[in-house]
Amino acid sequence: MTRLLSSALALTKRLFKIIFSFFHSIGEIVDFFLNCVKYSITEKFYVNIFLKQFLKIGFNSLPVVGLTSIFTGMVLALQSYTGFSRFSAESAIPNVVVLSITRELAPVLAGLMVAGRSGAAIAAEIGTMKVTEQIDALKTLSTNPFNYLIIPRILAGIISLPLLVIVGDIIGVMGGYLICVNLLNFNPTVYLQNTYNFVQFIDVFSGLVKASVFGFLITFMGCYHGFNAKGGAQGVGQSTTYSVVSSSILILLMNYIITSFFFRL
Amino acid sequence: MRKKKIIVKNIYKSFKDKVVLNKLNLDVYESESLSIIGESGSGKSILTRCIVGLLKYDNGSISFGNLNNINTLNDKEKMNYMSKFGILFQNSALLDSLSIRENLKFASKQDSFNKILNEVGLPNSILEKYPSELSVGMQKRVGLARAILKKPEVLILDEPTTGLDPIIARQINLLIKNLVKKNKITTITVTHDMESVYEFADYVAFLKNGIIEWYGNARKINKSRNNSMINFIKGIN
Repeated sequence: MTRLLSSALALTKRLFKIIFSFFHSIGEIVDFFLNCVKYSITEKFYVNIFLKQFLKIGFNSLPVVGLTSIFTGMVLALQSYTGFSRFSAESAIPNVVVLSITRELAPVLAGLMVAGRSGAAIAAEIGTMKVTEQIDALKTLSTNPFNYLIIPRILAGIISLPLLVIVGDIIGVMGGYLICVNLLNFNPTVYLQNTYNFVQFIDVFSGLVKASVFGFLITFMGCYHGFNAKGGAQGVGQSTTYSVVSSSILILLMNYIITSFFFRL
Repeated sequence: MRKKKIIVKNIYKSFKDKVVLNKLNLDVYESESLSIIGESGSGKSILTRCIVGLLKYDNGSISFGNLNNINTLNDKEKMNYMSKFGILFQNSALLDSLSIRENLKFASKQDSFNKILNEVGLPNSILEKYPSELSVGMQKRVGLARAILKKPEVLILDEPTTGLDPIIARQINLLIKNLVKKNKITTITVTHDMESVYEFADYVAFLKNGIIEWYGNARKINKSRNNSMINFIKGIN
């Protein structure tokens, strides 16, 4: 009986520890976010660092986002044809392709690709700076690390992701076009006309809103985990993993929330 | 007449259950060079990080000039306070994505760094290089240049000779000695290297179990009767 009681006590203790550490992490994330807001208003903005990060996160991610979008558009056209041809609705393929790409696939896939590419790089870079005392050195050189390292990266993410998604939208639609025109014998003019007539402002806009939110999540989680890296190389590796995993999960979660918000409009 | 620059009073710092600094007291005097020695994990670096303001202590107070308890400073005051220190970090902590010139520009907005590079024995040609292109010894020299370039009130040297071979370590010790004595900068050195202590320390504080076990003139260090310190100096655990 005593043994049972003590093991139940140990279990409860462990459970409380997990709950406490969960809320502790949430508190730390909120604190980090509030610091970002506070310092972005009150202190210096490093334009050159922002531009560098804009190129790194945005421009350098173009190939990977472009490739993902074109193949997704092509696959989407083929799979839609398989389904729609069963009830002679092939003409709806351009509509499905453009709707899926602009509302859903381009922002989510671009988000996940950039999370793996730039989010990991941000966490690794800032994490290395943390464990090698470069962030402490910045502080003693009268430079606020939030203004120098964090805010330019987050802003670059928020602005560059929607631009990447616009490019992804165009390339994705062109992927569908290539398959439909060259493989499924669609009329090129009719395909483009259908696409243009069907797509609405809200389709593209909702995708761009998602992209902005994803850009924030990717860069914020990368910066947060990098900034809180501990130990040596192992700690940096861990922060990179946490950054990619947490931003990917948050992208999928926020995708649902934003989709349901626009669904009600 | 010795004038107190930094007063550390009853400092207490712990990490979870581990007490690192246990009501430690220490005075740092103006224009003097103080070496803090002690075994690994004795809290030497934690103490200097508390003094600089990079780490908050749990209890006690650190006073610097008119500032009475640096734990209570707000962000802006803390930034101002930190700018009074020049720090040579253990692994130099040069920003590796920037060139040496850009690294030095963090400390001073001037365009020419010829004089300071000359003082630390480095050629001008390194200015456009990146930290990863320099040897560890050269990185230490750049770190030292960056630390003194901002004309700090207090210079902190965290293990200045760690990771260097004996010849380069000796060169660095001599370089620090010349810079410190010439500029009469208040200096706190955290070190394991007794050569550094003999070379440029005026006073020595021996840290053990979170307190200063021995404090005295560097020239009297070998006459001390503190067994722990004698064992430390002789390398006996």
